[in-house]
Amino acid sequence: MLIQIAWRNVWRNKTRSLVIIVAVILGLWGGIFSDAFMQGMAKQQIYSGIHTETGHIQLNDPGFLLNHDMQMHIDHADSITSSIKKMPEVKAVSSVIQLTAMASTATSSAGIMVNAIDTVDQAQVSDVSKLLIEGDYFKDDHNNLAVIGQQLADKLKLKLHSRIVLTLQTMTGDIIYGAFKVEGIYRTHNSDFDQQMLYIRKNDLLSLTGFPVGSASIITVLLNKDSDTKNVADVLTKQFSTLEVQRWEQLSPMQQVLSSTMTQMTIIFVGIILIALAFGIINTMLMAVMDRTREIGMLLSIGMQPSKVFGMIVMETVFLSLTGAIMGVLISISTIYWFGKTGINLSMIAEGANAMGYSSIVYPTLSADFYLELAMMVIVIAVIAGLFPARKAIRLKPADAVRGD
Amino acid sequence: MAVIEIKNLEKTYTENVVPVHALNGVDLSFEKGEFTAIVGPSGCGKTTLLNMIGGLDYPTGGQVMIEQQDITKMNSGELVDFRLHHIGFIFQSYNLIPVLTVKENIEFIMELQHRSRKEINDRVRYLLDVMGLSDKINVRPKYLSGGQQQRVAVARALASKPKFILADEPTANLDSKSTDTLLDLMANLNQKEQVTFLFSTHDQRVMDKARRLVTLEDGKVISDTKPEMKYEGQHK
Repeated sequence: MLIQIAWRNVWRNKTRSLVIIVAVILGLWGGIFSDAFMQGMAKQQIYSGIHTETGHIQLNDPGFLLNHDMQMHIDHADSITSSIKKMPEVKAVSSVIQLTAMASTATSSAGIMVNAIDTVDQAQVSDVSKLLIEGDYFKDDHNNLAVIGQQLADKLKLKLHSRIVLTLQTMTGDIIYGAFKVEGIYRTHNSDFDQQMLYIRKNDLLSLTGFPVGSASIITVLLNKDSDTKNVADVLTKQFSTLEVQRWEQLSPMQQVLSSTMTQMTIIFVGIILIALAFGIINTMLMAVMDRTREIGMLLSIGMQPSKVFGMIVMETVFLSLTGAIMGVLISISTIYWFGKTGINLSMIAEGANAMGYSSIVYPTLSADFYLELAMMVIVIAVIAGLFPARKAIRLKPADAVRGD
Repeated sequence: MAVIEIKNLEKTYTENVVPVHALNGVDLSFEKGEFTAIVGPSGCGKTTLLNMIGGLDYPTGGQVMIEQQDITKMNSGELVDFRLHHIGFIFQSYNLIPVLTVKENIEFIMELQHRSRKEINDRVRYLLDVMGLSDKINVRPKYLSGGQQQRVAVARALASKPKFILADEPTANLDSKSTDTLLDLMANLNQKEQVTFLFSTHDQRVMDKARRLVTLEDGKVISDTKPEMKYEGQHK
């Protein structure tokens, strides 16, 4: 009957209870939704990073990433690529020759990174081929075609079919020049990437630089499932012990840090909201206890154990908090589900977001684990919030309390 | 044998700068089946005396023996348990639980005593019948008159099968008709079932019904009479 009394007591002063329930709903919804928004941004940044820049795993000659020295290349990259492709967890593999270069037009120049690719393999590993805003992705059979990012095109004032001169180093250390025609312009969510990365066919580079046939600077691996990354990386590390095998978290540590930081921030943020709400709940429950001085005095007088009175008040607090929390979470799930489908368009601030590697459309998302953690947090906070009013209740002197003193 | 035996009971409140001697050496004894009113002016110590008998407060000195057990020696936990099983309380303001129905209010104390469901149901049915509240079984207190609420409070006090019932100004908030009904019910229970009642009151109608009047003044018993016997004596 105690549970029954506690539940009914929640609805005794409907206005007072509804005020605190609405506060819990709004507080939790605000906290959960903004967290889902941040998580969505972080997840998309990671997804976008994996699917346009790093893949899940990269293999390269140890030390290559430090100075992009073209002498540090992977011999027999083609056979390694073929071997990796046979792994069931692997979706696609692409070998790339990557080297620094200077891109020039008649009016300006910029330092860039040339990626010489097998166009079919690379299109399976990277989404750049799907992010074209103008032109085509190596559709034309002509030699010396380039696909560049929009930022680089803007910087060098390049248009589709414009000529661009690349200054490169050969394997023997000589400087050579190559003229390329812009066949396509892409735009990813990362403006830095768009300004740096230029794609050409591997054969065009081989003929210019004398880079050994069948070799590559980097082998990029895309997996079917993110969760397989570590296992596959471990297998590859054992299999190709002379190469450096790195996971996306190691290649873009900031993304990983950002993702885990956002998870921690999410918990802290909601925790702060719950603590603030706890004070409101304490206030409401103290008022409830003071309003019911006579009744609590009667309960203590007729022989109800103080521990049961204490439990009843704590239970009321938990019911009050959980009512708001359940409704707040349900509303949050609905809105997160809705915006998770439609996305939130941030085109107003897209330029700033893209500069940080974020998409201009954010799809909020939260893991199921978070809701479990949230439920635990709400119950713990509610119990803590109930302790003070409950203590106040059992410290009443029954003889005085029955008369309302 | 006395149900309640009070020996040299003293209570001094020291919360204020000047100590208040609410009870000054009270000696009283109550037998089973008594229907006693404790009367006296405001501040004479009536409520304090009931609080001491009910184990709601500790005296400064003296003893309160309930069936040979000195309750002043019990700790607060033991007192709570003692009150639950041995004492019934009726309060001036009824003090029913507003979120429970009439039936649930009566059941509640028996659930605290861990009585069986059958026993609870039988007792509730009997008490509602005795109190004339059978048609109000599922009604919440706010839909009852003051008199009806106080009858529910009496039923609740009786539900735990206490050794005696303490009633602090039970009729203070009732109109005369409700007071008469309530007093008749309690007098009937007292005579038929030998339930011991102890009232503190200012109400002349309660005093008229009482078979023993204990008058307090300045924390002392100044008279202890049995009007019924006196009345019978006059007839003789």
